[in-house]
Amino acid sequence: MLTKLTGGIVYDPANGVNGKQQDIFIEDGRIIKKPSKDAKVDKEYKIKDKVVMAGAIDLHTHIGGGKGNIARMLMPENHRLDAVAHTDITRAGTGHAMPSTFTTGYRYAEMGYTAAFEPAVLPVNARQAHMEMADVPILDKGGYVMLGSDDYLLRMMTAKKDQQAINDYVAWTIRAAQGVGIKVVNAGGISAFKFNQRKLDLDEKNSHYDVSPREILKSLATAVKELGIKHPLHVHGSNLGIPGNIETTLNSIEGVEGLPMHLTHVQFHSYGTEGDFKFSSGAAQIAEAVNKNKNISLDVGQIMFGQTVTASGDNMRQYANHGFARPNKWVCMDIECDAGCGLLPFKYRDQNFVNALQWAIGLEIFLLVDDPWRIFLTTDHPNGAPFTSYPHLIRLLMDKSFRNDMLATLHPEAQKMTTLASIDREYSLEEIAILTRAGAAKITGLVNRGALGDGDWADITVYTENKDREKMFSKPDFVFKNGELVVKKGKIEKVTWGTTHVVRPDYDASVEKNLEKYFSRYMTMKMGNFKISDDELTEDGRGSITVHPTVGGKV
Amino acid sequence: MSALTFTLKQRTDQRVDMSPLVSQKMVDMELPEIGAIELQNGKSKVRVDQLFKISGSDAQNIVIENSFGKLDFIGRELGGGNIRVEGDVGAYLGMGMKSGTIEVTGNTDIYPACEMANGVLTINGNAGDFLAGALPGNRQGMKGGTVIVKGNVGDRAGDHMRRGVLLIEGNVGDYCGSRMVAGTIAVLGETGRYLGYAMNRGTLLLWNKPQLSVGFNDCGSHTLAFLPMLLASFKKFNSKFSEIDIFNRVQRYGGDVSAKGRGEILLKL
Repeated sequence: MLTKLTGGIVYDPANGVNGKQQDIFIEDGRIIKKPSKDAKVDKEYKIKDKVVMAGAIDLHTHIGGGKGNIARMLMPENHRLDAVAHTDITRAGTGHAMPSTFTTGYRYAEMGYTAAFEPAVLPVNARQAHMEMADVPILDKGGYVMLGSDDYLLRMMTAKKDQQAINDYVAWTIRAAQGVGIKVVNAGGISAFKFNQRKLDLDEKNSHYDVSPREILKSLATAVKELGIKHPLHVHGSNLGIPGNIETTLNSIEGVEGLPMHLTHVQFHSYGTEGDFKFSSGAAQIAEAVNKNKNISLDVGQIMFGQTVTASGDNMRQYANHGFARPNKWVCMDIECDAGCGLLPFKYRDQNFVNALQWAIGLEIFLLVDDPWRIFLTTDHPNGAPFTSYPHLIRLLMDKSFRNDMLATLHPEAQKMTTLASIDREYSLEEIAILTRAGAAKITGLVNRGALGDGDWADITVYTENKDREKMFSKPDFVFKNGELVVKKGKIEKVTWGTTHVVRPDYDASVEKNLEKYFSRYMTMKMGNFKISDDELTEDGRGSITVHPTVGGKV
Repeated sequence: MSALTFTLKQRTDQRVDMSPLVSQKMVDMELPEIGAIELQNGKSKVRVDQLFKISGSDAQNIVIENSFGKLDFIGRELGGGNIRVEGDVGAYLGMGMKSGTIEVTGNTDIYPACEMANGVLTINGNAGDFLAGALPGNRQGMKGGTVIVKGNVGDRAGDHMRRGVLLIEGNVGDYCGSRMVAGTIAVLGETGRYLGYAMNRGTLLLWNKPQLSVGFNDCGSHTLAFLPMLLASFKKFNSKFSEIDIFNRVQRYGGDVSAKGRGEILLKL
């Protein structure tokens, strides 16, 4: 079947196409060059002067794993306000801060997204996370496997095992948990919390294992580099949300010594201690450091005002913030000595000085980091705001006067503390396409995704040009997933099922010898059960696995 | 003007969501408009005039006749005026009610007066479980107003209750006053097991000796000056509570120490 999209204005930064009118041909789910002359076009979409981009990719969004279910249980009142009825093709569910899996898939697709990555897959909970993501329709998905506070790694580091042994363990874990990257959350801090440490600075030792976050970051970043995993170490830094944590973040950048590192939800890690309220923006320093260090990439974790729920593996910081839970209920827990989990409902308020400044800091980071290939558009769903606020965020980035109008309504002291009003930058459509498509595909190591070139998968979004970018990006005309029309005029047209992206770096099989003993002695399951087989992801008949190459490795 | 009267034509198999039929939503409506309002009935919608014979015009005084136990959400978020229901009602009677009065001649299903904010709600029959409670997951139940129950009450009466008064003439089930934040529950009849379970603050005023749980401690007998004032304030209601003898001597039990422990059970001496 040959499909033709005629006359669209194409933004495809991966192939250097910036707003050029050109036709796109789709055959068997992939984009092809011009077909031969006698080939018959089966279906033509006339999209003259409409904006065409690849399907958007969210590289950091909490859509799977146990914390989502805890958040759902914790906030029934949030679901009551947003009940979603079933239709002939879609299933019923609930929405807002932590939507049900099906609703998550539909709402992402209806905004033109075709892939989303769960950034906190605990290896011990990976099976549940994959099962849950298997219920997210349309989207491709993948997970970053969370290490850095797990007992086994910390024991290895205490015992001063060599880097090769750590590499093998990391590679084995990413294979066993079917991940596409490695994430570290408050390195060593989740573990330290259980030994009664209530904060852990970059050079402070975990009292039980005698290991510092800096050593863990360095070790894991090296492992990721040496294993050839394309997505840099995905780092949720130490001291989240503490005024003055800008120092920690800058030290972390310096601490990885040039190794690739992705700093996630940086907005929460960019706070200074200036001003009357001892809380100020560190965006300019972060942006300067990122502009200078080409090994660093980041996503912002923008906050938006309103009710949401914060869901994080960082139980140390979640516990410290539990007094701010609104409504007043929260959960913090250990998860089988592998990591932790903390959830607290949160309401960001525009007349609150701290919240208002957080909003401004996020936008400052967006606008001060020069290279769009190293910064990504996220709200750290649901921590900063539900993902459904992306179109609004895009408008804030693309429309200076709108941004300043919004700023003018915020807490007056916060307005004084930000340079946002003086920043003239407005994102172009090309830059938005980089942030949400080409760059995101590149940094997660996806092959043939986020691009519209010959041979790329036909994940395509078609928008009607509109000065109001929020309207434009919230309701695409068409969304194609693997060449199939899934969304028409912002409504689900067909429900398909995406693939699970993974990477499989090589490791020495003898790593299992010690692991098997360890699992038998300490864990709640045997090593054999810990490993997730491919069949588990595909045997339901709708899931599939896409293995992406490692640097220098074979698929 | 005569009361706006809805007479049920026949009982439905599925439950009916009655929340659109409150004074503040119908105040400027003509009868045909009211008849055209669609109510959720199970998974389908049904027009008001298909279910009810409608007469009268005063939206401030609503009467529901022939009511039965599947009419849910009667008087939801009522903003004023009076609703009188003849017969039984379903769940969530007077949920989130803000002012006005509701009177039911029969019994109610679960969650009557759920998260009610103000006004007076009178149930002449029996009330179901979770009287004046909070919706599952919510932290605060009834936040104000008065509820009078002339019959018996199910379990979990006053669960998460925050403020206001429950006047219960009959017996209450188990877990009365459970997880109570504050407020007053007065019971003329018997109380069940686990009275005041995980109660933080608030007052349970009893006429019959309860079965106390371990989280409550005897604090001795007291003469409390506020009691005559409290009891006198019940005089204005159409209830047995307006006829009781005023007293000020009570045995006081404090608890539940497994929670905040600042609640009290006052037993008339």
